[in-house]
Amino acid sequence: MAHPKDHKGISRRGLLKGAAGGALGVGALGLLAGCENTTTPIGDCAGGDGSSNLVVPKPVGPGGLPLPRPDNAVTWAITSDNEPIPDGVPDENGPLGIYNYADYLDPSLIKKFEKLTGRQVKLATYNSSDEAIAKLASGAVAFDVIIGLSGSNIVNLIAQQLLQPLNHSYLGNLEKNVWPELQDPFYDRASRYTVPYVVWSDGIGWRNDKIAADIAGMKVPWDIFWESHAYTGKVAILDDKRDALSMPMQRDAMRTGRRPDLNTEDQKIVAQAGKDLGQLTDICNVKVAITDYQTLPEAKTWLHQSWSGDLLSAAFYYMPKGVPPSVLSYWAPDVNGVVQNDFFCIGKAAKNPALAHRFVNFMLDEAVAYANFVDFVGYTPPQTNIDAELLIKKGLIPKSLTDAVVRPEQFPFNQELLQLSVAGEQYWDEAWSKFKAG
Amino acid sequence: MGSRWTWRLLALPGVIWLTVFFLLAFYAVIAVAFGNQNTLSEPVPFWNPLDWNVGYMFDTLQNIWQGDQFLTVFVRTFVFVTLALVLALGIGYPVAYFAARHAGRWRGLVLLLLILPFWINYLMRMLAWINLLSPDGMGTRFFSSIGIERLFLSLNLLSERGGWLEGQPFTVIMALTYGYLPFLILPLYAALDRIDQRQIEAARDLGASPAGAFRRVTLPLSRPGILAGLVLIALPMFGDYYTPDLVSSSTKTTMIGNQIDQLTRQGSEKVVGASLTLILAVVLLGLMFYYLRATRSADDRAEA
Repeated sequence: MAHPKDHKGISRRGLLKGAAGGALGVGALGLLAGCENTTTPIGDCAGGDGSSNLVVPKPVGPGGLPLPRPDNAVTWAITSDNEPIPDGVPDENGPLGIYNYADYLDPSLIKKFEKLTGRQVKLATYNSSDEAIAKLASGAVAFDVIIGLSGSNIVNLIAQQLLQPLNHSYLGNLEKNVWPELQDPFYDRASRYTVPYVVWSDGIGWRNDKIAADIAGMKVPWDIFWESHAYTGKVAILDDKRDALSMPMQRDAMRTGRRPDLNTEDQKIVAQAGKDLGQLTDICNVKVAITDYQTLPEAKTWLHQSWSGDLLSAAFYYMPKGVPPSVLSYWAPDVNGVVQNDFFCIGKAAKNPALAHRFVNFMLDEAVAYANFVDFVGYTPPQTNIDAELLIKKGLIPKSLTDAVVRPEQFPFNQELLQLSVAGEQYWDEAWSKFKAG
Repeated sequence: MGSRWTWRLLALPGVIWLTVFFLLAFYAVIAVAFGNQNTLSEPVPFWNPLDWNVGYMFDTLQNIWQGDQFLTVFVRTFVFVTLALVLALGIGYPVAYFAARHAGRWRGLVLLLLILPFWINYLMRMLAWINLLSPDGMGTRFFSSIGIERLFLSLNLLSERGGWLEGQPFTVIMALTYGYLPFLILPLYAALDRIDQRQIEAARDLGASPAGAFRRVTLPLSRPGILAGLVLIALPMFGDYYTPDLVSSSTKTTMIGNQIDQLTRQGSEKVVGASLTLILAVVLLGLMFYYLRATRSADDRAEA
């Protein structure tokens, strides 16, 4: 299989050999032809085992592990050197180390947990999943609870053995409160290593007082971005290669009625998505940002590709005085869009594993999850008691943001942005780098 | 004997500092750029030069050579930085000149005012501009009241009234200028302050007009200061990525620093990010080389 990055494998030694074998001074291509091809990515994953070198002729995930897909559910093994804690272990003394995205958990709930258990909680934050995984892998800090990673990182987490398997006897609220759809997810059958935290969709957030178009009523609502010349300078898409590049893919699918593969590793499709997205540079001088929860309320942007939770946190906290949250609208597709969940995990090196289990179970409590949702994060917890209609009735959210509350029935018809093979991810990174260069 | 060792010992902290935080760190970048990556997309540095893998560097250079996105951002970065340098010099030189030669007994105060912006973090100053340049911000109203807004609109440097933050290249250039200006003024001030007043008087006595004396005496003598100031601000400007991020975040203003930031922070192209860093470093090294040669020849001339 010719991989376009194959020549990345040439070593200097190879080059020298090539140069010695052929005439000096031939062009780079001549040199390439004469070179040995050392390797594409080398398979020595940290902490990985020998099996990573047994490559299967199919997209393979980090460390040679399979890539979970809805039609390829994966059960991660529990190994003898990494077993769940036994039942009934009393809480350790703490402090409980939590590792999370910044501002992704209500601090008052942490205080509540501290009061409840008499144990201290120490929160550390990260800005990107890569940063989080690199820090976890370095072993510099042993975190107990890790929050915010998702199906786009799961294989990496497992391959590097950064997680410990969970003991469900501590997690009664999982079965009791969490959507049945997420009890046995395909990316981690039997929830051996992960528990869902919050769910979100990718959609369109806009200011309905500035944009007259009936976006939700359009045949292909994504088209609004390509018809947004009138809003030049006030249009933005998410600064995340997967979310952003999957947008033109979804648009295409809606137009043709075909089902898209938002985890495609087809270089042509990914490159085309990058080109389609690139049209927005000229159409509306598109911005690339993840500050929609601030810029939409302040009307610095009018049209934003958004994560559902950002619109709700915008409505909950970020509205300037005198601007009602009803000026915000959100639309997400019913089918073939992105619906995904982040999760809780417990670090393999956790010093307080029992306390960590207790914290996860605490966060899965109905009242706690609800408070975290409406008092702080705005991202829907996958809990059976959450009901958009009820929130509207209570006046917590305007009707125009109904779509921002994710519902369980959205999961089967939409897709998660999942971990890709290294080669596949390179296609996405290339397309993204090209797009962002303008 | 003893004192010689004392001096050498005194140099030690500096040498250690340079070795650890510059040489070793820089070698690590080289080892990554000429390394490979594993199946977790993590870079694997090749420390031994004999093992170096030129594939990624080759790819990156080819991208530039073929006029792909890296060339686009390189060219854009050069244009942005050059314009920002011209603007900074245009604003900074008169200020430094005034402070050094005409401020009289207010010199201390003027100097203090020049240093004042250093007290506030660069990022904070940029964040302040976001408020100032928002559609109803004070800066926007000021620009509108003195006609700058209309001028920019007519020059097509602004797409609509109050749209300073809507992804305008010129806003980025202005922000860069503003952010780094103090670093230009100080060395310039020092250079201008050092000029012997009597040389200018001699020029005037020999019949030079004020403008002539400036052009033939002051300007050439302040050249080392100009170069030092320009180098001092050009280097961080080339690597800057948060300024365009903060005041624009449009794809039309992506600089090379943004691409490096994006490639190295997330995803599977970290080795490409290291290659790009290295290419930028080599280009900047070329500029530094020119600077050193230029100042040396200026020194030689001064001595002659």
